[in-house]
Amino acid sequence: MFDVIVRNGLVVDGSGEKAFKGDVAVKDGLIAAVGEVSGPARREIDAGGRVIAPGFIDPHTHFDVQLLWDGAARPALEHGVTCIVPGNCSLSLAPLKAADRPKVVGMFQQIEEMPPEAFTQAFDWSWEDFAGYRDAIARNLSINVAPLVGHSVIRLWVMGEAAQQRTATPAEIAAMQDLLRECLAAGAVGLSTSFVDLDEHGRPVPSRFADFAELDALSAVLGEFGRMLQCVPEFYDVDITIARIDQLSELSLKHAIPTTFSPVFDNTSTPDNAPRILARVEEQFARGARVWPQMQTRPIDISFSLLRPSLFFARLPRWVRVLRQPLEARLHSLNDPDTVAKMVEDLGPDGGRKMMGGLIVRGGDAAPAEMVGRTLGEIAAERGQVPAQALIDISLAHGLDVAFLAADMGHEDTDRIGPMLAHPLVHIGASDGGAHIASFSTYGDTGYLFSEFVRKSGRLSLEHAVRKITAETADIWGLKGRGRLTPGHAADIVVFDPATIDRAEERPVFDMPGEGMRYVRDARGVDAVLVNGEVAYLGGAYTDAKSGVVCV
Amino acid sequence: MSGPAEAVIAGAEIAAGHDGSAELVLRLRYPNGGQGVVVLEADKGLELMAACGAAHLDELAGHSWRKLLEGTCST
Ligand SMILES: [Zn+2]
Repeated sequence: MFDVIVRNGLVVDGSGEKAFKGDVAVKDGLIAAVGEVSGPARREIDAGGRVIAPGFIDPHTHFDVQLLWDGAARPALEHGVTCIVPGNCSLSLAPLKAADRPKVVGMFQQIEEMPPEAFTQAFDWSWEDFAGYRDAIARNLSINVAPLVGHSVIRLWVMGEAAQQRTATPAEIAAMQDLLRECLAAGAVGLSTSFVDLDEHGRPVPSRFADFAELDALSAVLGEFGRMLQCVPEFYDVDITIARIDQLSELSLKHAIPTTFSPVFDNTSTPDNAPRILARVEEQFARGARVWPQMQTRPIDISFSLLRPSLFFARLPRWVRVLRQPLEARLHSLNDPDTVAKMVEDLGPDGGRKMMGGLIVRGGDAAPAEMVGRTLGEIAAERGQVPAQALIDISLAHGLDVAFLAADMGHEDTDRIGPMLAHPLVHIGASDGGAHIASFSTYGDTGYLFSEFVRKSGRLSLEHAVRKITAETADIWGLKGRGRLTPGHAADIVVFDPATIDRAEERPVFDMPGEGMRYVRDARGVDAVLVNGEVAYLGGAYTDAKSGVVCV
Repeated sequence: MSGPAEAVIAGAEIAAGHDGSAELVLRLRYPNGGQGVVVLEADKGLELMAACGAAHLDELAGHSWRKLLEGTCST
């Protein structure tokens, strides 16, 4: 007797091999049989017309805090994601001494944009060491978690204040090695570090004060476990990024570890960057190094409000001058009819139709509900105004707290991005799930992979796309027994409609502690998600299953 | 006063940053003819424009790369 049989689907097993019609049977949390399966099961799921695939793995997330009250990392799970890697970019919630919590909370708020209540009310902060954090999340998991430990918190534990002041002494480096060893033994899947991130005071995070000797010593410990080094290089400068690729490659070769870095974008203003990065990656792989560039599937949107000056207006000198003033003076200018008339005039005869008409009014701020999701062009026409005037008036009417979104402003050229995502050395990831929550949605990149790159442009086959975010990810990270529909592997399974799987429109929700706001995207076309053999999501609803584990 | 030749800003454009804000992409030209690109986040980009007295993106061209340092130091 099987526990579950998913029947009559198109089996895309993660290997990249051609899909075939069949069933997938589950017993004791594992895949028990794949193909034509006879025999009874306690539960059957009809997958007629649907794909049966291994659950997706998201290798770059910041769900560290959310997991403490939401073991499904919503809405990641409903998109078919059955395993997430938190603890990226040098930051994790352990190991962390109680006295250092405020510092790290500040750093987390900087990247996650979580409200303070998330740290003060939503969970009982009982641990200091990595095993304690692991146990705290493990009680409540519906999704699998493969956690990284952050270099910045390891440094802070050993060096205290000095972690953000200087390089480490040999004794401190040895202590960091011991601490990292303890974390890896307790279930960390690697170490994350950053050369870019800042704390809430604009100071470099602790990992940025490390010298090469420190990184080398920590990588040696990773080598003892064969574990991953994740890194955020100075991505704003492609030459430095390439130097970091070389550095990561040396560490990979010397210590026999995999390394990965992100973000890697393709923007039309810097069309040589991504190809140069990939060319260097190819050279380093040819030497035997493992240095995986992570690339996201989704395009980048620009969003802004008049509360803070944005470079969106950089071609409009008067706008820049007005918006760079302190708030009071800015409001004064925006309320002055002569100034505003000149600002509008600066847009030329179309009044900003071309530049601003396509802007979308976002919710989650003071924007009135009837405007949310609509274009400024439409709203302006209704008001009998030109878009530039409407932008100013709408903003003024709501204390400037109305956000506007310019969609697809970067990493948006499917004909360029598609071949890169299909590249055998490009690791699809970098979703940043659970980060920047009040700025934009970081969920549903897997749905977008299928809708844009499989269905719409045909840049990847269904089998290839599935492999890229399942078996390949498991192999890159050394996650054993996951990422494939093979007997004996964990029964992490997603059932989806290949004709409709997608991410829905971005929308604001107020489901963070203290009714904090975040942007999310719902899943489309995902019928069922099984985690370690239990149905965690079905027919549009989460179940009570708590079958997620901390996996290694 | 004519000093030694040094890198200058050759051009500037706006691009989407990974955190959803608009960023400034600067093209630098070095005395040896080489080109480089550097990306500044919103605040730094606006500071640079102010430091160069540039009202418009196109007015950044020709300024010394040293304005980048001024820009990042001013408030
Ligand atoms: Zn990150």
